[in-house]
Amino acid sequence: MEEAAKKGRVTPLASLFPVEEAQKAVRRVHETLSEKEAELDQFRGFISDNTNLINLVQKLPEGLHHNIMVPFGKAAFFPGRLIHTNEFLVLLGEGYHVERTSKQTVEILKRRGKALESQFESLKATMQDLKAEASFFGITASEAAEGLVEIREDYVEENFTERESQSGPPKEHPPSFSEADKVKVAVEDEEYSRMMSRLDELEKAELEAEYGNERHEDIENVAVSDEEYARMMSRLDELEKEELEAEFVNGRDEDNAKLSVNDEEYAHMIARLDEIEKKPETERGNERDEDEKIKADFDRSSDQTSLGKINRFSELEYQSRKLLERTKDKKSATEETLSKRDTQKDLTGQLNCTGLTVQSRPKEMSHGKGLVQSIMKSTSLEKALVLPEVKENVQAASSSRSEVSRNSGPTNPGIAQALGKEFPTSAPRAPLQDSKPGFDSRKAFTGSIIERAHNIHTSSSQQAATSSQSTGSQPSKPVSRFKMQRR
Amino acid sequence: MASPAALRELQRDLETKANDLSRIQKDIAKNHQVRKKYTIQLGENELVLKELDLLNEDANVYKLIGPVLVKQDLAEANANVRKRIEYMSAELKRLDTTLQDLEEKQNSKRDSILKLQQRIQSLQAGKSKA
Repeated sequence: MEEAAKKGRVTPLASLFPVEEAQKAVRRVHETLSEKEAELDQFRGFISDNTNLINLVQKLPEGLHHNIMVPFGKAAFFPGRLIHTNEFLVLLGEGYHVERTSKQTVEILKRRGKALESQFESLKATMQDLKAEASFFGITASEAAEGLVEIREDYVEENFTERESQSGPPKEHPPSFSEADKVKVAVEDEEYSRMMSRLDELEKAELEAEYGNERHEDIENVAVSDEEYARMMSRLDELEKEELEAEFVNGRDEDNAKLSVNDEEYAHMIARLDEIEKKPETERGNERDEDEKIKADFDRSSDQTSLGKINRFSELEYQSRKLLERTKDKKSATEETLSKRDTQKDLTGQLNCTGLTVQSRPKEMSHGKGLVQSIMKSTSLEKALVLPEVKENVQAASSSRSEVSRNSGPTNPGIAQALGKEFPTSAPRAPLQDSKPGFDSRKAFTGSIIERAHNIHTSSSQQAATSSQSTGSQPSKPVSRFKMQRR
Repeated sequence: MASPAALRELQRDLETKANDLSRIQKDIAKNHQVRKKYTIQLGENELVLKELDLLNEDANVYKLIGPVLVKQDLAEANANVRKRIEYMSAELKRLDTTLQDLEEKQNSKRDSILKLQQRIQSLQAGKSKA
């Protein structure tokens, strides 16, 4: 087995998580879950009572008096009259009652209802967490029972395609690829490298836009020096081209229509993007110009920023998300975790990421890029948290690019590098002003990446991490060059 | 031999320590309960205070004392509720400190019990060897 060759460690999962204990944990969590369910039902009862009461209180003042049957003791009623129909004694709590009119009572009741609902929501959230816990325990228990083996290997830098390991049953846990996956990984790695080179080149263009002519020489020197990049980039372009065509053929016309609805400039830009992609990679200078033109276009369009645009942005984002969902499992799984983050962010973040999304849309045809783009979205959203302004977001994004690549050099998550490469595509298009790199965003960003790579409890991240790790060696070159540029 | 007597003594020690530990644990549980009650009451009082603040000056406030609903002054009611809130938060803080003490005592008791058990085991091992 490869473990011996690669100095791996084989640990049966059962030793890490004893079967009985895992099962006990599952049972415990289920019990708590059922308790919370009961509480939830209670809350629902309260809320419905409250609404009924509100309706009643609103109806009572409709008459000067009402003829009712008054309860008398435990088992009797007598006919009576309800008078003073607008006066209510409301119990506030702790034995305090207050006289209120019908309208004021309704207000009090509404406030109570809101408090109830917030409690209900928090309880629901706790239940969700519990459910996740339960499922995790269940999975661990079943896997431990099956005798799943966890294999850890030291990361070997030489060749990313060699890095793989075998395992028995289901491959939900860290490095467990089958032969088929290995091939898949190899193919995807190529695409990654292609993406990397593409991103690198666009990044240079963006750099130039940001830092002016001084960078030019660096970029030129660095850019011209590597043939491999030219090759990879041409491959990348081919891939994108065919994906683009495939996508458009498959009826993305609707999306295109929406796109054109926005502004012609977009179609314009996207056409230009396609042009760029199809051009031979050696003409880096030309591409830079193209990027700049596109950037100018985008600046113009961004000037007209309006809600309508934002809406279309969100549409595009949604489409891009749909696209992403079509990608392979690991990518989509990562995307899931990303979109979870997405939902938590605010409009500025959305605007920022949708801005980024638009440009990368034509590129997102390649699933590999899809992953990258989704990550980019999430990181851009995180930037939104750090620096509220859209502009600054993009700046942070561009700076985080550099930081990412810088950091990812040593830390090695391929995602980060891919991400670092992806940003340049968007930056020229985004509403960039003269930007100053926001270095404080670095910590947040790396934090997230590291979290991903080290999170062994979610299969998606594992797979993503492993796949990215396998591509790590290849992109290391673009990373280093990128570092050079940044310096 | 001295060792069986020593062993018995150690075991008796262990028993007493175990009893102490269980007592401490009961105290901790009670503390938790009282804390919970106080926390709920505190929450309720804060709600009441919020509603009272929203009232006009001329609104009638009544307090239910036993079977009697007594009319109260709004200002008076406000003051009362506020004082109750203060009192309850002070109580909660006191309970917190007591809880901490109890937990510390519990931990130390546990440690001593463990040590005792180890001694007993070593003694028994020694005896079986001899």
